[in-house]
Amino acid sequence: MKMEFGEFLAAPECSIMIITYPDIFRTEVGLKHGKFSREYQELSAVIVLDSGDMAKIEVNDGDLVEIKSETGVVVVRAKESEKEHQGIGYMPEGAWANVLGASPATPLASTLALSVKVGRSRQEIPAIEEVYRR
Amino acid sequence: MVCTGCALLCDDVEIGKNDCRHACRIGDAHITSTNQIGAMVDRSPYDMDAAIERAAEILVSAEKPVFVGFGNSVTEAQATGIELAEKVGAEIKTFRTGIFDDILDGRVKTCTLPEVRDYADVIVFLGCDPMNTHPRLLSKYAYYPRGEKRQHGWETDRIAITIDLRFSHTASICKEAYTIDPHRQIEFVDALMDALSNKVPKTTYDKKRILKLAGTLKKAEFGVIFAGTSAPPRDVIVRLMDRLNESSDFRLLPLAPGYNLRSIAEQLRNRPGDDGRGGNGGGTNLQEADCILCLGFDLMNSLPAHGINGKMIVIDPSETLTSRYADVAIPCAAGGIDCAGSAVRMDGETVEIPIIRESERLSDGVILKRILEVV
Repeated sequence: MKMEFGEFLAAPECSIMIITYPDIFRTEVGLKHGKFSREYQELSAVIVLDSGDMAKIEVNDGDLVEIKSETGVVVVRAKESEKEHQGIGYMPEGAWANVLGASPATPLASTLALSVKVGRSRQEIPAIEEVYRR
Repeated sequence: MVCTGCALLCDDVEIGKNDCRHACRIGDAHITSTNQIGAMVDRSPYDMDAAIERAAEILVSAEKPVFVGFGNSVTEAQATGIELAEKVGAEIKTFRTGIFDDILDGRVKTCTLPEVRDYADVIVFLGCDPMNTHPRLLSKYAYYPRGEKRQHGWETDRIAITIDLRFSHTASICKEAYTIDPHRQIEFVDALMDALSNKVPKTTYDKKRILKLAGTLKKAEFGVIFAGTSAPPRDVIVRLMDRLNESSDFRLLPLAPGYNLRSIAEQLRNRPGDDGRGGNGGGTNLQEADCILCLGFDLMNSLPAHGINGKMIVIDPSETLTSRYADVAIPCAAGGIDCAGSAVRMDGETVEIPIIRESERLSDGVILKRILEVV
């Protein structure tokens, strides 16, 4: 297999805070197509990042990023925000955010806004049933 | 028909042969959903009766059982669930019901949704985004409609304000939006309370904007705060409500997921063993539980579920992440779709819920009763 030079370098990382949000389109797709559908994953396994933060970790809109917290690691797709919110990433509520420890269901400041590290990823987005690997 | 897509329980939904009129995106998808599960034991298809028996066996042998959810079941099924929990010594965790206790105990003033429509002139969406969770709240009650005392609706008669951790869809249509730091929510509320007391707030937030917000709130004739899942802690909200009501007239209505969460909060209130935190905290951690019964609640898609190793029993109308991993998954009819009953709207109004279509599925209430008979 041909290795590229970039693969020997660590991907740059950046510290951000994750805040989860409800998304009506994701809820709708979950009800219509099921939570194991491709459509549901596309709307759930997402992080909305500030363009400045995306530049720091050298990713573009649509690239995959790995997010690491004290409780878990997950790969999701980066989406460039239309607004400025440096240091904050927004993730839809659900398993991909929960595995990092972020959740609005336990209303503690620590779960409402979670400190994580985000960087470019070469891995695939895990399917919902793979997120926890119980 | 009544839509059980959220706690608004919209009663003007018309179901045609191929369409669903007046329902929002969530309601339409909820009513037309065909995403159902079959009975499963140890992740393999199983006979329904045998699955119910297996669930009973697990519950009987459990030492620390915990029941979670209840917000997506009709009131009658919730009552049976409470009875079963008492019989097997299970704790019930409903999540997000704590603030209902403050309303039910009269610690904070509240009102009905029609009163919001008829009288509210200042509406604050605190830590919530109803455009994404309760889509018809703004069009039916909180912002757009003309009411008895608000004949000009949102254009001149109402001011809607969001105070939230992010600039949400709801924020984009409100006249004022305050985006606050999740770690400094209490600082924001304290600053607002100082401003309401005519003091210059000591804060790193924009003082002028906070003074302006306090001025708007003080002038309210009939103010309403809708508090959601990202709102500041419950005691902070109560303090803010007390302070607001020294100078104006404010009511509180919680916005939480699940169409019948208020009912379970009412039923669990002041019961023996109630920790006064509305099932949010205290008691057994889910990680300590040796059996978790999820009633209409997708635990693993709703909470950080690390370290949960107890046996899992799921009773749910749809296939969920939790049902996929459950030791026993039992399909049930969905309240307001193929199961009738009653529910309590978010403002406390009891609503009778008819069936939209017949099915052969057992209701969650019947399943719980059958488990109750054998434990």
